Amino acid sequence: MKRFAVLTALSVAIFFCLTGIGSAQAIENEFYLITPVSKDVHDPVLKAFAAYAKKRWNVDLKTSAMPQGTPVAYGQILEWKGKPRADVFWGGEGTLFDNLAKEGLLEKVQVPDKMWNEIPAEIGKPVGLPLKDPKKFWVGTMLEPYGIIYQPKLLKRLGVEIKDWDDLLNPKLKGQIAQCTPDRSSSSHASYEVILQTYGWEKGWEWLRKLAANTGIFTARSRDVPNVVSKGEFAVGFAVPSYMAFAEVLNGYDVKYVFPKNAYVTPEPMAVLKGAPHPKAAHAFIEFLLSEEGQKLVSAMGVYPITPKYKVQGPAGSNQEKAVAFTGGMRSFFDIPVGNVYNADTAGQKKRIEEVNSYFRKEIAEKHKDIIKK
Amino acid sequence: MKKEGAGSRILPDASPAGLLGYGALWAFFIVFLIYPLIRLFYDSFTTDEGVFTLANFHSFFTDAFYLRSLMNSMLLGVGTVITTSIIGIAIAFLLLRYDFPGRRLFSYLTIIPMIMPPLVGVMGFVFILGRAGTVNVILQDYCGFQQPVNFMYGIHGVLLVETLHLFPLMTLSIVDAMGKISPSLDEAAESVGSRGLRKFFDITFPLTTPGYVTGALLVFIWTFADFATPLVVGIDDLLASQAYLNIVQFVDRRLFKMGIVISAIMVILAILFLIIAKKYVSIKDYSSLSYTQIERKRLSTPLQAGAVAFLSFILVFAFIPYFGIALDSFGKGWALTPIPVKYTLQYFERVSVETPKFILNSLLYSAISVMICIAVGVPVAWAMLRTRLPGREVLDSLTTLILALPGTGIGIAYMRAFREPFPFMSIALIGLWVVIPIVLAVRRLPYTVRGTFSSLLIVHRSFEEAAESVGATKMKTFRDVTLPLIWKGVLTGSLYSFILALQEASATLLLVVPGHEMMTVGIFNFYIGGSVNEAAALGFILIILGAACLFLINRLAGSKMGGVFG
Repeated sequence: MKRFAVLTALSVAIFFCLTGIGSAQAIENEFYLITPVSKDVHDPVLKAFAAYAKKRWNVDLKTSAMPQGTPVAYGQILEWKGKPRADVFWGGEGTLFDNLAKEGLLEKVQVPDKMWNEIPAEIGKPVGLPLKDPKKFWVGTMLEPYGIIYQPKLLKRLGVEIKDWDDLLNPKLKGQIAQCTPDRSSSSHASYEVILQTYGWEKGWEWLRKLAANTGIFTARSRDVPNVVSKGEFAVGFAVPSYMAFAEVLNGYDVKYVFPKNAYVTPEPMAVLKGAPHPKAAHAFIEFLLSEEGQKLVSAMGVYPITPKYKVQGPAGSNQEKAVAFTGGMRSFFDIPVGNVYNADTAGQKKRIEEVNSYFRKEIAEKHKDIIKK
Repeated sequence: MKKEGAGSRILPDASPAGLLGYGALWAFFIVFLIYPLIRLFYDSFTTDEGVFTLANFHSFFTDAFYLRSLMNSMLLGVGTVITTSIIGIAIAFLLLRYDFPGRRLFSYLTIIPMIMPPLVGVMGFVFILGRAGTVNVILQDYCGFQQPVNFMYGIHGVLLVETLHLFPLMTLSIVDAMGKISPSLDEAAESVGSRGLRKFFDITFPLTTPGYVTGALLVFIWTFADFATPLVVGIDDLLASQAYLNIVQFVDRRLFKMGIVISAIMVILAILFLIIAKKYVSIKDYSSLSYTQIERKRLSTPLQAGAVAFLSFILVFAFIPYFGIALDSFGKGWALTPIPVKYTLQYFERVSVETPKFILNSLLYSAISVMICIAVGVPVAWAMLRTRLPGREVLDSLTTLILALPGTGIGIAYMRAFREPFPFMSIALIGLWVVIPIVLAVRRLPYTVRGTFSSLLIVHRSFEEAAESVGATKMKTFRDVTLPLIWKGVLTGSLYSFILALQEASATLLLVVPGHEMMTVGIFNFYIGGSVNEAAALGFILIILGAACLFLINRLAGSKMGGVFG
């Protein structure tokens, strides 16, 4: 019996080698992710991938995720110096991935050409936001805006309405805003860049200082922001990925979401780390997430497909339909005009990232108590 | 090996096997305590290229923000010592000196608040006292308050959480110390007219000082090293928070270096505090187990009511986080109502049935760490008391030092020290799961050493001498005579180490190995991952586990509540 199984396996292997479907060879039985994408999304995706691995290769895959904010994950990967303890880095701003590629810490993404070509090169006007790396070091996996979350009951009590960025500066919101810091979260960092590139450096910081004056808490992680808002501890959350807000709805909380003008839309980039302990599983994971199955799966969680081919759609009452209603009625980012001012060439430079972070630290974080008093 | 050669010349009667064991003890301390600390200091005094520099410290002491953080941390530590002293001493006095209804129950309940995993306490408080917590919702919906009262967000919130978590530590230390005061001293004082406050300052205070100073040091260091609580209430201008935030961000190398420097400064300060308090916290000073039966005074009825009211009042506050955690772990979508509207078991299912790894890893690693504690701690205590081996006083100082070391500091020291593979090994210790039980064992070692030490003290030397006189080796004597007599003390100390290992979440948070997370790491990850309910459910389970262990300790240690402190 055993010999028969071995023989079958061998002949199947030979068959696939001969026919050139190299990817059909089994993957390793472990897979580790380092990601700022929160548990709401990475947990079900990892579970689905494990089930897929079982079905396709009969591999009992053990998966685990190291949840880290993008800047932290980025730094951790640098610190690993090419001997990473994770296989795949997923999420955040594409510019950080470009920097990692420059350091030689990423491996080229291996997915079928058809799959690669279906993903548009960029999105947004007047500035195009890349959705994949022309050199293939990273690929976008899904689309979602970094917007504003609010507690309707509290806003009603305060007599405030929120439709766009500037509504956050309403003095009635004093102490009611929750945000993460740009040096700990890329959703915050990208949104700071959106403001800075909209208004320019000086005026942009003035705007952000006013935002700080209304800020009641700088949270430890970006995921805390929707969390404290849904609980009602704070009324409004700044720079919240749509899926995090939607996860709170699925958790049974009553929150609302605003997709403000020119909000940063992240493609949640994904890359295989060079020297990854489980490279086959890593490449298989990317292919899985970009497949119809993977894209359908995430579209039930408040994010949008990365290709125009798939739309967020489901039977009435499904999570897909709830998500569409929650984020403003659209079914695909490629159906609507996407405004973008975030220029990756400006924002992505290492020097610029450090400048933004240290300006924030010196002028806002360390002076927050004084800013509130004014 | 050289050391042992020298040792046998000094101690010709020591067996080679015994010396080898003693050498192994030292090796453990050198590899897992001294080397990481040296590495931490080395890193903080050098540049990335390894050139000696004082620039790191210069930039710390010239940065207004870091200095403010240092100041705030000191003030918070001192503040917590003051508040816990007031509550802790009052409770210790009531429980030890007076009799009133429910005294036994209260003496058990007042230690419970110590079982509070980091993060869980502050989460529980926020659920009840936060801006949208039960109290504020009631105030706004039913009492006409326009704005929520800010109980939590700010340094006062941290003080509240730390005080109500740590006062039992103070109570235990005082009970332990006061238990050693002979009533005859009291009577003598009273016979010469020293009464009331006068007697307190003449007799009680000086005699309880060693216990008090130890308690105060523990409370201070605990507060000083806690970074999770302040972060939840939006405070980051504290030393531990800055160390943590700077270390877990790797983007800015300068900040990363500052994280290391801050940890080094925290360790240096801990050592300084220890030197200042050294006079009092030397192990010998409070290792007596000769508890004297204290005669309790029966209080008058109004005073009895007062005592019960006071204790109940403190307990209601101290139990707030438990209510909050329980409500949130069972409640679904709880927001802006006094208690949750919908209830579910799904969060418990998720953290226990679906992903049992947190609970299993916690139990496994804590158990392993306790075994290491026993394997290292019992011989250390024995060597200190029963041998004249050179360097045993240093072992004493090292064990006490561990007690004062902030977990953040140890975690960061390990991160730096074990990043590179060991000689002859291809894989570094960081990234292997064994690093977790090891760091837990090192951190909890003092409790085992102290527990064993005090138990050994009451084993009369003559028992062992009798065994040795009929030819038993020291080892055999220890196994056949001493161990059976002290196992209870060792077990109590170990259970205590176990509870504290279960709850450790500063070093382990920094050293987390993917796939091998413990419950406290799970709580932290769930919390920052937005799954607060799951974090609460895991916290709830951890509290129940802790309470069960404490109950067991109480049973083992009998009426000597303070006995757990060795």
